[in-house]
Amino acid sequence: MAESSKFEPKIVAFLCNWCSYAGADLAGISRMQYPPNVRVLRVPCSARVDPFFILQALQQGADGVLVSGCHPGDCHYLTGNYVARRRFAVLHDLLQFCGLEPGRVTFAWVSASEGERFAQLVREVTDNVRQLGPNRKLIKEQ
Amino acid sequence: MDKVARLRERAKELLEKQEVVGVLGYRASSRPGISQVAFITRPEEVDRLIFDSACSQNLANYLLKVKDKGKVAVVARGCDSRSIVVLLQEKQIEREKVYILGVGCEGVVVQGEKSVACRSCRYPNPVIYDEMVGEEVHFEPETVEDEFDRLTPDEWWEVLSAEVARCIRCYACRQVCPNCYCPVCFVDASMPALVGKTHNVSDNIVFHIMRALHMAGRCVECGACHRACPMGIDLMRFNRQVAKIVRERFGLVAGAKPDEMPALTIFKPDDPQEFIR
Repeated sequence: MAESSKFEPKIVAFLCNWCSYAGADLAGISRMQYPPNVRVLRVPCSARVDPFFILQALQQGADGVLVSGCHPGDCHYLTGNYVARRRFAVLHDLLQFCGLEPGRVTFAWVSASEGERFAQLVREVTDNVRQLGPNRKLIKEQ
Repeated sequence: MDKVARLRERAKELLEKQEVVGVLGYRASSRPGISQVAFITRPEEVDRLIFDSACSQNLANYLLKVKDKGKVAVVARGCDSRSIVVLLQEKQIEREKVYILGVGCEGVVVQGEKSVACRSCRYPNPVIYDEMVGEEVHFEPETVEDEFDRLTPDEWWEVLSAEVARCIRCYACRQVCPNCYCPVCFVDASMPALVGKTHNVSDNIVFHIMRALHMAGRCVECGACHRACPMGIDLMRFNRQVAKIVRERFGLVAGAKPDEMPALTIFKPDDPQEFIR
């Protein structure tokens, strides 16, 4: 009983095709262990991640969101992540302003060769969200 | 000669010489303390033009609606001129087709009180104009404090969600905004539906976050949306915050400089990224 009632967060991860998704893939083929709480969505670039995706994930029941793309300067489309960074900065500050818990939405840069970093990131994000508890603020009551 | 007389005189001259097809300004309405937007096309009608503290609309919005008629003269205060700058930056209007009659503004008065947006106004005078009508205005802006600094994030969330819970999703805020000109707004998109269309609290707060986000680097804090809201929601809270984020993070002020681009359309390789892991 105690085991089944333990809160397991659902985390939606938006990973860019060229770096972070490949990084997650590397973690997989290297058989690194990380929590199974993330649901990965592959996007062409971190700039493809419309703030709507993040908010909608939280509305529809995700407890946390992870957005990850190439390191600055490494974007497959040259400047996608620079543009995305500004957008995410405003979204991050605005969510903070509204009173959403810091740690609900995480942004990170993970390259294709950083399999261990990806695994570690997922461990940390999962721990953070688990400590925050279920998402009760943005969730849309059905 | 006072401001209004000068404005009428110049409007008349511009129309008589056919330098412009019309003059966009304000006229009195049948209700005291409330003005209407006027588009004057005949020289004999210029005496309808007024300019006082009841003139609350942002004329840049109406400029978009008459821009196809030809060259238009427009009365512009600080905020209107900054909206015009944003529209120029975003290539919605051409500079040659607008004649800007700049006026200094002391602030809009709504029901006997200076509008919240105008109290903290730092741009009472136009940033671009073809000529100034009357003198420039100078006053010390007030600092408008939000109580969120004194509350915990959870308490502030409660305050804010109770506020936006009143939103009836009429989109008056969008209609009056000169920078909300998208042919298909995200709230009207249905394939995919980006935000729920009922006035559910969760959807309301997402709508208000996204409205603020779309305004980042573009909102000139004219307060037209705030004054248009039939439910009295304090939209300036979001607008002020977004302007503050853009100012502090990127050092930009929306519409302040014609040769700069809106903050989210440009980037620097060394933008702050302390929030990214």
